[in-house]
Amino acid sequence: MNETSHYRFPPASAYRLNRCLFALKSDDAFRARFLEDADAAMSELELDAEDAAAVVRGDRDALLARGAHPYLVFMADLRLRIEREPVSFEFF
Amino acid sequence: MLVGAFACAHTPQLLARPSTEDRDLVLRVHGAFARVKRRLETLRADAIAVVAGDHVEAFFLDAVPALGVYVGSECAGTFGRYRYRFPIHEPLARAVVEQGVERGFDLFYTQHAPLDYAFYVPLHFTMPEPGVPIVPLHVNVYLPPQPTPRRCYDWGRTLGEILQARPERVVLMASGGMSHFPGTDRYASPEFEYDRRLLDALKAGHGRELAAITGEELDKMGNIELRTWAVLLGAVGEARADVYCYEPSWHHGNAVVEWPV
Repeated sequence: MNETSHYRFPPASAYRLNRCLFALKSDDAFRARFLEDADAAMSELELDAEDAAAVVRGDRDALLARGAHPYLVFMADLRLRIEREPVSFEFF
Repeated sequence: MLVGAFACAHTPQLLARPSTEDRDLVLRVHGAFARVKRRLETLRADAIAVVAGDHVEAFFLDAVPALGVYVGSECAGTFGRYRYRFPIHEPLARAVVEQGVERGFDLFYTQHAPLDYAFYVPLHFTMPEPGVPIVPLHVNVYLPPQPTPRRCYDWGRTLGEILQARPERVVLMASGGMSHFPGTDRYASPEFEYDRRLLDALKAGHGRELAAITGEELDKMGNIELRTWAVLLGAVGEARADVYCYEPSWHHGNAVVEWPV
């Protein structure tokens, strides 16, 4: 794997950012708090301000540039959309 | 003994379909899953050993295991409104981890971890009736450095020997693939021609070729998840693939495949 790979080694500097995206993806309670009050939920995680702002904006390019894992960005967004717009999904 | 081998796509849009997805395509993949389900019933499987790549669900960056076995009494996972709970075939799971380690694979095991959708999306559609216990087998596909395809293939060869010597009738199911690039700029342009060439090779019984592909190539082709197929191919050897479907959506090559064993 190298720096041109689609899925690169997650830099340690982005650990907290990736942990935040992991929580949005997989922690139903945290996701619910985020949907209720994003800024308050973000304050739980001790992210730096720019990371937190990129998460709240859902700014994929900024998140990737800051070391976020692409899959976590993708699925955190999908899970938030399922909660926000459940009617646009057909459930099998 | 090993009585069947299948590969199944697991993209969650097959379970919860957003309006962006072609409904007819999704239903065609469901049709292929229904064939797998009927086959599992015909094969009278006692257990399904599911090889899947964790989508950073059971294992975050706190610990990144490469290859392993879920050896609990049961496992559970949730995805939105979906709630899954499966019994684990504990004697079989224990045999796999104990014999695997004995034979030189430094497997991890867990008795409690969230089950990833890579396991339960295919099982949602293919679990025979009545249901059977599973053995979740983990491969790290999303957090580099992942195990090499060669290592996955070699583990599969040993896994196949372990399963073959067991008294239970075991179906091996690889979950994942084919080409897709979630979260990257390539999301809307997968490598479908690569998938088709690979399926042609598998139909000709050339599964061993997957062991020779580099991890770098899998990443380039949107096929990091095919490490799970490499495990299966190690177990089925030169068997010729029967491709139930290959359905390329705007972002994902959905394949359902059986190998005779």
